[in-house]
Amino acid sequence: MSTLKSIKKWFWWHRWTSLICTLFLLMLCLTGLPLIFGDEIDGWLNPTHYEQLPKDTPAANLDLMIAQAKARYPGQLLSSVFVDDDEPQVLVFMAPTLKPDDKLLHSLQFDQRTGKLLKDNPPFDQQPKTFIGFMLSLHADLFLDLPGELLLGLMGVLFVISILSGIVLYGPFMKKLDFGTVRSDRAKRLKWLDLHNLLGIATAIWLLVVGATGVMNELSTPLFGLWQITDVKAMLDKYHGQPVKDQQQLSSLQNALKTAQQALPGMTVTSLVYPGNAFGSPFHYLLWAKGNTPLTSQLFSPVLVDAKSGQLTAVVKMPVYLRALELSRPLHFGNYGGTPLKLLWALFDLVAIVVLISGVYLWIVRRKFYEEYFKRIEAEATA
Amino acid sequence: MNKKTWPIPLLLGCITLFGLLAALLGTGIWYWLAWAALTLPLAVIIRKTFFQKT
Repeated sequence: MSTLKSIKKWFWWHRWTSLICTLFLLMLCLTGLPLIFGDEIDGWLNPTHYEQLPKDTPAANLDLMIAQAKARYPGQLLSSVFVDDDEPQVLVFMAPTLKPDDKLLHSLQFDQRTGKLLKDNPPFDQQPKTFIGFMLSLHADLFLDLPGELLLGLMGVLFVISILSGIVLYGPFMKKLDFGTVRSDRAKRLKWLDLHNLLGIATAIWLLVVGATGVMNELSTPLFGLWQITDVKAMLDKYHGQPVKDQQQLSSLQNALKTAQQALPGMTVTSLVYPGNAFGSPFHYLLWAKGNTPLTSQLFSPVLVDAKSGQLTAVVKMPVYLRALELSRPLHFGNYGGTPLKLLWALFDLVAIVVLISGVYLWIVRRKFYEEYFKRIEAEATA
Repeated sequence: MNKKTWPIPLLLGCITLFGLLAALLGTGIWYWLAWAALTLPLAVIIRKTFFQKT
């Protein structure tokens, strides 16, 4: 019987993809729950007390903050500067070298408006992991860097297949039932099957979106790597052979910021990468600017400013796959629609946990159950 | 195939998708619409799980 054969085939996919990824998904759901409120929890556990200043206080000159940082660490190199658009802070990153894995990379926190040093943090490697930092490492890569990212990405792919096969199976399972029927008066496994179906189908789109965008996020390292060896390399090839600038001879950072802002009116620069940083250009300041509408604030434009002359070199166009990656972030994190959206994200996450656990339960009690079920379908089909 | 199987799941799926995109593309009223849209599938779950007519 072909229908039964096809149901059995989908069922095989649903069972095995789910079983392989379930433990990982449970971990992801549990660690993801506090991460939804990561900023709030971090701000609450490690608060920064800012001076009370009028709202429209202009930002201080970045060069003054840089000078203070250099005076404190004369033997070190500037790596990048983060200009927060949420809190009034500027973080200046420094390390003895610009190698991407320098264990002594550390940050100095300044007040964006007064330019005063607020905190001189020890190197990231020597800081105890914060609660949110721990959850994030577990959630994003199991503390395994790229291999962990790729493994969890693969689990995400299995999860997406299991949702799709689950949607296909919903049809035959609900053939004789009204939407949302929960047979609580009969066997316990029937009740859990009905709940698994109801919760799964009602949250299917959310699960698919968060699952697929999670996979996308796990691919960010290879995607940025691809960009660097293609577009970025092509752009920087014409400078090949030129000496890399000494940090003593660089043009003003504040001027680079001004140049980028003039080139992109209506956009906000949030990060400035020093020449020589592995994630930048050897010859330019690389500035990341984002838009000011809900959608465009997710989309960053890289701007290259010549590190010697301070002239605008280029506003770089981002490839489609990096745009897709940027849009995958909010849709995975749920951080784009205020606190109510975060609360909804948490509730969907809890439902997902119930779907996962009920799925495992149904697998444990499977034998009796599905044999009966398949027999019934067969009997109906031949009747 | 039962004709009554798919209409509600399809509707819930479309509403969820609308909610996810509304908050991404707009602000103000669109936030409220997004919150309302995404509350709906959860409300349906709660209603069917805990307040089933027998």
